[in-house]
Amino acid sequence: MRILRVIVAVAVLSFVAVQLGPGARAAGPVSEVLIGELLPLTGNFASLGQQYLWAGQTVEDIVNNDYPDLNVPLGPGKGFPGLGGAKMTLVVRDDQSRGDQARTLAEQLITVNKVHWLNGEGTSGNTSIIQPLVDSYGIPMTCHACASPTLTEKGFKWFYRTGPNDSTMVASVFQFLKEWPAHGGPSGLKTIALFTCDNLFCQDNRKIAADLAEKGGYKIVADLTTKTGATTLASEVQRLQAANPDVLFAVQYPAETTVFQADMKRAGYMPKVIATSNGAYSDQTWLTAQKPTAGAAGWLGRDPTAIDLASKKPAWKKVNEIYKKYSRGQDMGELAMREITGLLWMADTINRAKSVEPAALAKAANETDMKPDMMIIDYKGIKFDKNRQNELATGVVTQIGWDDEKHTIWPWDLAAQAGFKPIFPSPSWQERESRSKK
Amino acid sequence: MTLFLQAVADGLQMGLLYALVAVGLAIIWGLMEMINFAHGEFMMLGMFGAWGLSAWLGWDPLVTMVPLAVVMYGAGVLVYRGLMQKVQRGEVFTQIFATVGLFFFIQNGVVALFTSDYRFIEGSLLTRLSGANLSLGGIRVGVPLLVGGLIALGLFLLLYLLIDRTDFGLALQATAEDRDAAMLVGIRPQRMYAVAWGLGTALVAVAGVILANFFSVYPQAGLSFTVLAYAIVALGGFGSILGTLLAALLVGVVQSVTAAYLPPAFKDAFVFGSYILIGLFRPQGLFGRF
Amino acid sequence: MAAALVALLYPIPFERSGQIYYETVGFLVLLNAMLGIGWNVIGGWAGQFDFGPSIFFAIGAYTAALLSIHFGWNAWLALLGAVVVSMVICAALTYPVTRLRGHYFAIATVAMWMIAQPIGATWSLINGSQGLFIPVAAGGSFVHGILTMEFPGRGKGLGFYYLSLLLFVVTLLVARVVERSKWGFYFRAVRDDQDGAEAIGIDSRLYKVIARCLMAAIFAAGGTLYGFWALAVFPDQVLEVNWNILPMMAAVVGGLGRLWGPVLGAIVLIPISQLMTATLGSGPLAGRGIDLIIYGAVIMLIAGWRPNGLLSLPWAQWAARFRGRVPAPSGRG
Repeated sequence: MRILRVIVAVAVLSFVAVQLGPGARAAGPVSEVLIGELLPLTGNFASLGQQYLWAGQTVEDIVNNDYPDLNVPLGPGKGFPGLGGAKMTLVVRDDQSRGDQARTLAEQLITVNKVHWLNGEGTSGNTSIIQPLVDSYGIPMTCHACASPTLTEKGFKWFYRTGPNDSTMVASVFQFLKEWPAHGGPSGLKTIALFTCDNLFCQDNRKIAADLAEKGGYKIVADLTTKTGATTLASEVQRLQAANPDVLFAVQYPAETTVFQADMKRAGYMPKVIATSNGAYSDQTWLTAQKPTAGAAGWLGRDPTAIDLASKKPAWKKVNEIYKKYSRGQDMGELAMREITGLLWMADTINRAKSVEPAALAKAANETDMKPDMMIIDYKGIKFDKNRQNELATGVVTQIGWDDEKHTIWPWDLAAQAGFKPIFPSPSWQERESRSKK
Repeated sequence: MTLFLQAVADGLQMGLLYALVAVGLAIIWGLMEMINFAHGEFMMLGMFGAWGLSAWLGWDPLVTMVPLAVVMYGAGVLVYRGLMQKVQRGEVFTQIFATVGLFFFIQNGVVALFTSDYRFIEGSLLTRLSGANLSLGGIRVGVPLLVGGLIALGLFLLLYLLIDRTDFGLALQATAEDRDAAMLVGIRPQRMYAVAWGLGTALVAVAGVILANFFSVYPQAGLSFTVLAYAIVALGGFGSILGTLLAALLVGVVQSVTAAYLPPAFKDAFVFGSYILIGLFRPQGLFGRF
Repeated sequence: MAAALVALLYPIPFERSGQIYYETVGFLVLLNAMLGIGWNVIGGWAGQFDFGPSIFFAIGAYTAALLSIHFGWNAWLALLGAVVVSMVICAALTYPVTRLRGHYFAIATVAMWMIAQPIGATWSLINGSQGLFIPVAAGGSFVHGILTMEFPGRGKGLGFYYLSLLLFVVTLLVARVVERSKWGFYFRAVRDDQDGAEAIGIDSRLYKVIARCLMAAIFAAGGTLYGFWALAVFPDQVLEVNWNILPMMAAVVGGLGRLWGPVLGAIVLIPISQLMTATLGSGPLAGRGIDLIIYGAVIMLIAGWRPNGLLSLPWAQWAARFRGRVPAPSGRG
């Protein structure tokens, strides 16, 4: 009896196997281009993930609907003209900011949902976990806002990045500091302190900054690494106050930055220059929350785009209106801009390839030579180097003014266009209080 | 020397805030020995409640503290009656399991309603005092934190009186120590547990209301405080309200002094290291009864 | 027996249809079931609350990764190395804290986990928060893959499914042997009545350590498997809170202290959460955490309805009614 049961079981399973069959991808024209969006929508990086999601929804809207006056790739017209009007469909998955979930869901998106392109994960650490997997399946993969340099340096053949990486961006901050004295800035900045969180992103920045600081002749008077989720940073502030650096280079996420600012205020501590790299500086919610107290005035940091200049472009304004439909009224920040630019590039590439076959997509991607006039961000263009990093993605340095907006202060030609005189030294707490809007 | 003294002062101030968060747990877990993985989430609900009422009605958190406490008391009783009472029939570990579910449920419920954006209370009394400092012999003491700390002390005193000096408090302790014996003298354990949950939840929500003046309000805000709260209750010793308070102050000081002299990334590690060290010599915590 | 056959043949249909993802779900179920069985030794049998087992998962992953990267050790040797290192560290760390009982001990395990985090993030030997990467090998045949844990590209799903099945079976067998041995008896004695056990001469501290180190060994093996699967070991990934609670939840859901408890628990919990993510966590509802809300609700329902675990349901009776005859004593078990 037992043996019979076994045979029956095997037979049933084989039958099922045959039925499920090899799921061949439909050859010939597709009516729907599937874009996998693997994002951290809950968990630690949720505030980043939601901005990426809104960016994706914005691009899906732009591609699928007709915006005749919108001067970006695939603005006018519905769908992909090169694919007979096929529409773009996002397949969104939330990996809860976890690497094992990211890897598992990436596999789901590729092997079950059969996406044609994978965009994700949104944070450098988790992206590096899914890179080997996606590469082995051979479909294009992008993370436009992931800034870790190593992502394009490990030799993965299918990973493209349109945004600048941290090496470029941090270098621009130090370049600005170096050239500032010759353009009316202070000349006595000799000491620097590094204040970073302990995860991959912050530590990447810290290593680059430490290296550049040494090369720039700065003396590193303090180098503090903090654990994320800190409830207080009072002692750290005391130490920084004692070390008294001219420049404070801080890379922290919004929650910790808020704690830091509160503790700085209590201690009455303000260095001459606060320079940052992403983290809170890129987070729209943090920026908005600083407005009533002028808490961010004088903070300067690297930005992938001169947002004050870019936002004057009509295309930017129109895209922002569409974005606000999904973001519940929040304006595009630089993170969203990088993502939207990259996704529009992707749509353009798919359109040029006139196919969703990976080989055709790769060819179209490699041949990219996008000009700046069709972009809402001010890269010099999109053209990939041998590592599939966009070599025309530069960085600028911006500073937040008393109007709570970011202004370009470097490179000097763009700064001249922006017409903003850098604030120095960083305003004291009393000055912020007296000029705040209460 | 000033660095050290200032660090101690800062640590004591933070310690009072930690005590505020831990006091609710001291009842539910310290006294009644029920594990609550979702403790920080109730605190976060208190934060959101304070923010919401402040943003939409303009009411100061110091005022909304009271109605929010009442509402959260009800929530705590509901959680006990609806879930934990059933879970008590089984293994102790199931309490963890159940409250993990509660944790996911509450945190993501808030994400669904409010997204993961960071929010801030503006214009409340304590935020307006945010730069004000007292100077005691060259050591800085922030006024708003001091106010928060005094509220914490007040609550502790009330709780201590309730637990140790009233019949009701004795009934709670009796139920925790020996449920069957308590029933024999006419105490209804179910009711005691429900009240304990209500009280504990209300207290941690009040902590959230106060903390919302100093920290950003977002769904994941509960985590960093929760882990410390657990260490504090255990360090103080189960069953001792006073112990929780002293442990909180100790934790605050250890954290602060460590960050002043050693790599700051290790300050929580040192707090937990101290816990283990003290535990080796006093396995019942500082003042533990059981 | 039927279960064994299902387990062996499970990936085949997915391999045919190219839907490798389901194989990976199977891998995760087996990995977590294995970890759950490990946790059951200290939690279910010895009755001690251990909330920080992930430190051994991390020690295992890092040791194996270091041995593989710096010394070129084969994956299985690296696994052995990881297990040994993990058990030694476990013994050294655990013996002192066995003075603590009940919830105090629990917080001590949490303390160890909290201390491990900054070490993981800043220790330069393991490259801190920037992680260790195991080089992607060119891979070879399936058999070669089993021997080295390296699978070429698309073979990964299938390969790791069978690897995890292998380790799972080994763990199950070891656990079964321990359960019926004197050790198992001593563990349960310590759990049920520690003072009474000591009175008859059982050294409770020693057996708590042994139980925990058995768990540490299993977690280290799991960590090694994870490391070779992900090809990257990051401190915040291997010390992540889910590795602490998921094995425990699997054990509790299935039935604490029962050998097959964690297996049932893993089979229930993981597919549910994957299903939720795929349906409710995507599309227009994405980003609102709806899938996790439902997941939390399901957990609470199970906890309230069956606080002693799902194995406490009368399975045998149901099966008998289904087959229409009196249940024979199960041959397994």
